[in-house]
Amino acid sequence: MKILERPLLKNKTSATGILLFIVLGVLPFAAAFIYALLYSFGLVGVISSGFTTEFWVSVIKTGSFFKSLGYSAAIAGIAVFLSVVIALWLTLKFKSALENKFILMMVYMPLAIPGLATAFFIIQLLAKGGFLSRISYASRLINESNEFPDLVNDNLALGIILAFLTMIIPFFMLLFLNVYKNERIEDLRILAYSLGATSRQVRNKVVLPILLKKTRVLIALYFIFLLGSYEVPLILGQESPQMISVLVIQELKQYDLDKIPEGYVVAVMYTIIVAIAAVFLFLPRKREQYV
Amino acid sequence: MFLEVNNLNKKFNKEHVVEALSFELEKQKTLSILGKSGCGKTTMLKMISGLVNPDSGNVFLDGNEVTLLKPEQRNMVYLYQEDLLFPHLTIFENIAFGLRLKKINSKAIKDQVDQMAHSLELHNQLDKMPHQLSGGQRQRVSFGRAIIINPSVLLLDEPFGSLDSGTRQRMQSLFKNLTREYKITSLFITHDLKEAILMGDKIGFMQNGNLHVYESKQDFLNDPTTGVNQEINFWKSLQIEAGSELKNTINE
Repeated sequence: MKILERPLLKNKTSATGILLFIVLGVLPFAAAFIYALLYSFGLVGVISSGFTTEFWVSVIKTGSFFKSLGYSAAIAGIAVFLSVVIALWLTLKFKSALENKFILMMVYMPLAIPGLATAFFIIQLLAKGGFLSRISYASRLINESNEFPDLVNDNLALGIILAFLTMIIPFFMLLFLNVYKNERIEDLRILAYSLGATSRQVRNKVVLPILLKKTRVLIALYFIFLLGSYEVPLILGQESPQMISVLVIQELKQYDLDKIPEGYVVAVMYTIIVAIAAVFLFLPRKREQYV
Repeated sequence: MFLEVNNLNKKFNKEHVVEALSFELEKQKTLSILGKSGCGKTTMLKMISGLVNPDSGNVFLDGNEVTLLKPEQRNMVYLYQEDLLFPHLTIFENIAFGLRLKKINSKAIKDQVDQMAHSLELHNQLDKMPHQLSGGQRQRVSFGRAIIINPSVLLLDEPFGSLDSGTRQRMQSLFKNLTREYKITSLFITHDLKEAILMGDKIGFMQNGNLHVYESKQDFLNDPTTGVNQEINFWKSLQIEAGSELKNTINE
């Protein structure tokens, strides 16, 4: 009797789970998106005067959205690329040391630090009045604080990228370590050597392809996450262009009420682009069955 | 002799895992090696293949010393106990792996892989990924990938240990055919007495890090330390028991 009850119970539990997911996860997001869409076409909001495409035209014409999106994508892309490269190098170079519990704990630590704290730490470290600047002054490398290079709120977004690196490298290191163990890459390395591969061939034909193929979805998701990050670019970014989330919030908080629908236009466009990217990312591919 | 191992020694944490190990093997012959778990069989194979450095001793291949050569320079393939395939490559690419390393042209690689796949009865599986095959099929791919590069010596570490008895029997017969077809010299480690007798041209018994290779299979069967006689007596007693039960049934 119990055997018959089990699938029913399982179905009931999974149905409840799906319902909860829809109520708590999908519905609020869908409602917010529809509200933003209606606001962007002038159908709701304090200055609503019926359907209009003027806010969309304005955003597209000024090009601030595309500039900001390109800027955000460049920063996120550079940060993810550097993080993956550095994390791969550290993981493969120090994988034996990383088996030590204390060292592993040190890798976990930065993951517990919020982005906001990391951003302030970067300011303390790299600003013109910061720690490095003071050391440079004390060691007479510079004569006044203004001579210290712009490393925060700068054109090249060095501060933002550095903050992202400190936040993501530990995550990727732990991810790669985990995949290294689960996929038995050490055994596969030995096997490849035995089949005649050199160290370079083992790295390029076995270790890196397995690690990267197994983690590519998470790497792409992290890119999307960084694309929409807010606190770090808010504190460490420059006035213009800004990263996309900072731009959206800035538009929504404008005193000029006409600008608010434009903020919603930016938010809707960004959501659509990210949603398309996510669908593309998770689409099952016939040729690539190794996930 | 084609493969000569002289006085190999290896210690891990002051414990002698392999001690004064010496033996010889002729070309195109298979030496079956029996021994209990932890007696040093795997370490011995890894030292011969260059994956583990010996503390002392020498390995000669076709008259040339290979003791200090890197694994990729020895042309000896060490095959794992499990069917370890490259998970990111198709079956075709798994078999072709060693050939691609040698930068052989694509047409020659395709021809060789196709021929090997036919020998292994895997010609319909070449586009699949490793996780889509059964354990026996994966083990065949593993063999094919090793044999296709024409290794001087194949080092097999309990290759059929994880297979069910039916698949195991088919794999034993396939291995015998392959060794004949591709003229393979091999060391074959197994726990299974019957498998050791079936697969090996010669049989060795490893104990406490030392290997004794028997002159003939009869010498091996006669040695009381190997446990063969106990095994034979066990099956004989079962046969006698079954026979007497049958007699009783007929009498009744």
